[in-house]
Amino acid sequence: MDALQVKNLVKEFGGVRAVDGLSLSFEKGMITGVVGPNGSGKTTLTNLLTGMHPITSGTVVVGGENEHGEIRSYDVFHLGITRTFQNVRVFEQMSVMDNILVALTSRSVFASLFEKHSAFHANRAKEILERVGLWNKRHENAKNLSYGQRKLLEIGRALATKAGIVLFDEPYAGLFPEMVKLVSSIMKELRAEGKTIILIEHDMAIIRELCDHVIVMDAGKLLAEGKPEKVLADGKVIEAYLGA
Amino acid sequence: MEYLLHLAILFSIFGIFALSLDLIAGYTGLFSLAQAAFYGIGAYTTALLMADAGVNFFVALVLGITLAAVVAFVIGFVFSGLRGDYYILGTVGFNFIIFTVFLNWQSLTGGPLGVAGIARPELFGFSFSSSGSFFLLSLATLAVAYGVSWFIVRSSFGRVLRAIREDEEAIAAFGYHTLYFKLAIFVISAGMAACGGALLASYLSFIDPNTFGITSSIFLLSIIVLGGLGSLRGPVLGALVLILLPEALRFVGFPDDIAAELRQVLYGLLLVFLMLYRPQGFLGEFKL
Amino acid sequence: MGIIPQLIANSIIAGSTYALVAVSFNLVYGVSRAFNLAHGILGTVAAYMVFFLAEQNGVPLAAAIPLGIAAAALAGWLLELYVFRPLRERKVIDKVLIIASLGVSVAVEGIVAILFTNQYQSIANLIPHLGILKVGGAAVTSVQALIIVCALLTLVGFWLMLSYTRFGRAARAIADDEEVAKIVGINTPRIIAFIAVIGAAVMGLTGILAGFDTGLEPNMGFLLLLDGAIAAVVGGIGNIYGAFIAAYLLGFAENFGVWFVSGEWKYAIAFLALILCLLFRPQGILGRK
Repeated sequence: MDALQVKNLVKEFGGVRAVDGLSLSFEKGMITGVVGPNGSGKTTLTNLLTGMHPITSGTVVVGGENEHGEIRSYDVFHLGITRTFQNVRVFEQMSVMDNILVALTSRSVFASLFEKHSAFHANRAKEILERVGLWNKRHENAKNLSYGQRKLLEIGRALATKAGIVLFDEPYAGLFPEMVKLVSSIMKELRAEGKTIILIEHDMAIIRELCDHVIVMDAGKLLAEGKPEKVLADGKVIEAYLGA
Repeated sequence: MEYLLHLAILFSIFGIFALSLDLIAGYTGLFSLAQAAFYGIGAYTTALLMADAGVNFFVALVLGITLAAVVAFVIGFVFSGLRGDYYILGTVGFNFIIFTVFLNWQSLTGGPLGVAGIARPELFGFSFSSSGSFFLLSLATLAVAYGVSWFIVRSSFGRVLRAIREDEEAIAAFGYHTLYFKLAIFVISAGMAACGGALLASYLSFIDPNTFGITSSIFLLSIIVLGGLGSLRGPVLGALVLILLPEALRFVGFPDDIAAELRQVLYGLLLVFLMLYRPQGFLGEFKL
Repeated sequence: MGIIPQLIANSIIAGSTYALVAVSFNLVYGVSRAFNLAHGILGTVAAYMVFFLAEQNGVPLAAAIPLGIAAAALAGWLLELYVFRPLRERKVIDKVLIIASLGVSVAVEGIVAILFTNQYQSIANLIPHLGILKVGGAAVTSVQALIIVCALLTLVGFWLMLSYTRFGRAARAIADDEEVAKIVGINTPRIIAFIAVIGAAVMGLTGILAGFDTGLEPNMGFLLLLDGAIAAVVGGIGNIYGAFIAAYLLGFAENFGVWFVSGEWKYAIAFLALILCLLFRPQGILGRK
């Protein structure tokens, strides 16, 4: 079952096609890796899927039903998509707890003003923070966290949305080994919960370990896809990385 | 004693202005230099309705707040897409335009001559004409403004505002239509400022366009940066400094005739020093 | 028919004044990315320096004017050194810089007001004879003609400097990408400081000319800056050629606009133009998207 599909997706930046007629599917309950040399369009793809850049042409299909020619950033959450960022974007001058809570509370202007501080949100936040190992830092401002802790905070924030489709943009870069294990275990848990995970990564060892399916991009196009061992041994793929 | 009450009244009114600006600048990151325009709208609406049409202060107040809120809604929407520098420039422009309206729509506003003869508020036959009673009124209004601000900032809505300040693009991806939130707080801020403006008009009994120019907006910004952005006590402290500073200057012996210019120099220097050395001010939670 | 030539002349004069401000503003913005709202006060400083020296102390104009420009250049240099460079090195967000510049502008304006009072001052009497040129039905004073000439010379001068001197090419490299410029060995802080001084000097000259044309008030520089900054943004921030064009467009819009409404609405027209530009073409006329 395809949780997410893109059809002939194109993104042009002033004459340059960062994403060039891409057609892909991401299956539910699988971890799909997206790899490719720098500039291959991986991050642009992520940004398109999460409403950070307007789509030039092509469509995105979510849950096999709705075909979208346009995704606005505030649509993303409601479509059941969430993400982490390559250049970690947590809310610096807010506490760890607030970073999580803001992903949990009401999205409506009126309701959020009058919402009672519920035990429900507090409990959910506790669950999440314990899962990413940040409960004891809950009152710290995010800017005081270490790099790895901020990445975990981002993951926690993404988890808080309960989105069915989670995009991780290079979550492993700069992490200590214990955190790497933690992040991998979280991903496996999410997969077991039936979530769709899209993992952008450079670290091939992780790709081999975690991914059920791998997509290789080059110059905005699909270069190869399939099982990790097969794809990563593919001559075209190796050449793309070396030649890039 | 009279004089102390005078200072206390001005403190409460500027406290209201300061809170209103902090809500949008310190909490939401919307550095507007148009606050004087909004409290000016409140002041002129109240002044004209009271002096020219004999309307009760409290009714005029509500109308002033409403007008400011409507204008804020439109302007907030128009400027919502502007990033940092351009937003500030746009609000400067807006303040200028409103100031020009006050100055040039002479048939309505009396132009440079301003509006005189604004009476003190009256409620059920009781007139707030004594300084003591007016002080209680203005203090009560400050308390209400503080209470409203407190309610807003500790709510989930307040948390969203801070996230918008931190990274608007990122929080949008988490399901928030940030435009609506920014509009809402902008409107609330303008209404609060207008409320203070109405009190100011009635207290001073005379207003003219110069009170509502860009320099006033800049002063207000410098005192909330000094007091501390992103907190509630910060703006209140800032207002206290604003009111007491001229007194301190006078005490030290600076002549009155250059008092206004000296204040201007001090606020300007203050802003520069704060930006260079202590962007979080005294009691701020948010460091620029 | 009768008034149109004069309106055109006034538009060109206003446009030239704004061009001087906008072009120097954008020159500095290009390398420093500083939205410097204190740019205008440099003009005030120069004008009042001339007033102080020539009007109040009998110094001959031939000395007073260069000293006035030098004062502005010095002020601009100090600003760059002690306010903008430290902030830039700390990689602060845009807002901090613009707010700091606002603080400088307000503070210096206050100092000028304390030293010279808020009263309107004139230095026109210093010019031996204020010639009036009649061009095609319009009257233009010699000072105003000088403003137009200076605007053109400044643009040409900047163009030559940026295109044909090593210094200018280095400045363009910094404007393009500061990090890369540093990597190839360009002494960016020094070049930025030089550009700041040049921009300040031009602004100083503008202040002096405006002082001769319309007199002095402490807020004169800030008002010039408002129009100049609007032209700078509408033309494409950082782009001196766009600023030049936009300045004249603004001059025409204001002068023909106040034909319909009264003169005091001038700034309202200018800001309306800015707001429309920001809404519909935020990158400006010649800006890159």
